[in-house]
Amino acid sequence: MSSISVKIGPITHKNPVFIASGICGYAEEYSPLVNLSRLGGVVTKTITMEPRAGNLPPRIHELPHGMLNSIGLENVGLVKYVAEKLPQLNQHRDIGVMVSVAAETEDEFVRLADAFAAEDGYDGLELNLSCPNVKGEALDQGRNPQLVERITRIVKSRLPKKSLWIKVTPNITDVGSVARAAEQGGADAIAAINTVIGIDFNLETGKPVFARGSAGYSGPAILPIALQKVWECAKAVSIPIVGIGGISNIDDARKFFLAGATAIQVGTALYADPGLPERIIDALEANPEWVTQRALTRAVVR
Amino acid sequence: METRTNDSYVFTPSNAGEFTTRVLENVHLSKRYYLLRLARPANFVEPLAGQFVHVMVPSMDAGERFFLRRPFSIHDCTRDHIDLVIVEAGPGSQALRHTRAGDHVTFYGPLGQPYPVLPGKRVLGIGGGVGLAPLYFYGFRAPGGLGENYRLLYGARTREDLFLDHVPLERPGVVLSTDDGSRGFKGNVVQLAARELERESADAIFTCGPTIMMRAAQKLAEKHGIAHYASLENRMGCALGACRACVVPTTLGGPSPYRTVCHDGPVFDASVLVWDELPIP
Repeated sequence: MSSISVKIGPITHKNPVFIASGICGYAEEYSPLVNLSRLGGVVTKTITMEPRAGNLPPRIHELPHGMLNSIGLENVGLVKYVAEKLPQLNQHRDIGVMVSVAAETEDEFVRLADAFAAEDGYDGLELNLSCPNVKGEALDQGRNPQLVERITRIVKSRLPKKSLWIKVTPNITDVGSVARAAEQGGADAIAAINTVIGIDFNLETGKPVFARGSAGYSGPAILPIALQKVWECAKAVSIPIVGIGGISNIDDARKFFLAGATAIQVGTALYADPGLPERIIDALEANPEWVTQRALTRAVVR
Repeated sequence: METRTNDSYVFTPSNAGEFTTRVLENVHLSKRYYLLRLARPANFVEPLAGQFVHVMVPSMDAGERFFLRRPFSIHDCTRDHIDLVIVEAGPGSQALRHTRAGDHVTFYGPLGQPYPVLPGKRVLGIGGGVGLAPLYFYGFRAPGGLGENYRLLYGARTREDLFLDHVPLERPGVVLSTDDGSRGFKGNVVQLAARELERESADAIFTCGPTIMMRAAQKLAEKHGIAHYASLENRMGCALGACRACVVPTTLGGPSPYRTVCHDGPVFDASVLVWDELPIP
């Protein structure tokens, strides 16, 4: 185990660099371009009980400082994921495999957790309580601390030996209260942040670019927002924080550790620069003190 | 030369790679079009007609950065170079136009499902505007090449957009059209295709160009009861089938009716596409 390993909940990851959910699909797709075995891990694309068709295209829109997406949780559904994707991921058991899941109701979270309790070949779940691109449910869950605590508790009780990360939305005034609720519910980590809600208009049609109007904004523009939310979470909870949002170079990654993150996820930057996660790992291995450097003292035990 | 058919060939990106290479030439073709000639990297596998490369737009100055790569169909590929014919459609394709010989460009590829190779079948290629590239390339990859079993119809707005000084299109097997009649058939290329099919039938048509053109070509294919393979474009994220950004609606089943242009396409059996709902009109 190298000197930049990090412990999150029950799992020790060999390094703190992950690929964010939604970016790399079910991971295998990226194997031609990314040496997956070097990563701390991957968070696979959010899955739901039933397959989802996703939103009407167009689904992606580039802006001068970031990117809007409106994918809408298109996914193969639980049954196919377990039958086809988990076995593929089993080839990568040398890295962390976190499965992103979303559900519309608490009962559905119970069913998902029960289904995963019967499976192996992954390290834990990242609960997507913050997708802005589907109707109502996911984002509303993530804005309600009581609900976040309940969902976290029922999933953790069914998967006590697995790692449980709660992915939070930046589209809320007090992210600390949601992070605290997740911690109270037994979460092993807070993953912060999901995309920032944004919108853009097509001047030719006079209509929003996307059929659903609002969409999720990512890329370099959201870096300071993400850092600030991680900073707030770090002050609110003592469990580890996984920092996500706008990382497009090594310096950006360092800032998340300063803000209080234990690990990081690279998202949108992977599209342009699939070599970035490995370069960040190289830099951290050369400078392991960067991983533990904090701008403020946390009560967290690493 | 490749002779396998699409029936048995399902592309996976496993032989695609990431490369940084030199621009050999950036040729002005017309007001809107240019030809980017890249040095072919040693390990770039032999591409098939219809496949594309996903190009990182270099930042020309500190204030301009691009977060998404741009997919471009391969126009030609020799031992030494890869040619891309690009139309200025936005800031990315404008920035790429400013690259000069010696500049470095990063891309990955070759990617996507190619046009099928159909030995013994008569294929009519119908290209409009920037849709020339894969159909031109197919002329080098079709069994027997451009000629009896592969005829190419290519239409542009004006004679200038045919860029005949740079791309040798005036040759046997090619028929040209312009909207204004300044060269070749006067009218659009689907009107030309209708005329050509009356003269001599075909077993399949291959199209690439504006959606409105390919949609009209699909009606033509239905009328003649022949196969139609269309090469689509869309905005892409990963270009590897992972992110689900570049999807188009189809009549196919499965968890979703959507298929990715990057990985399930860009060449599709046109009969499965929902032509009225394609994201790029």
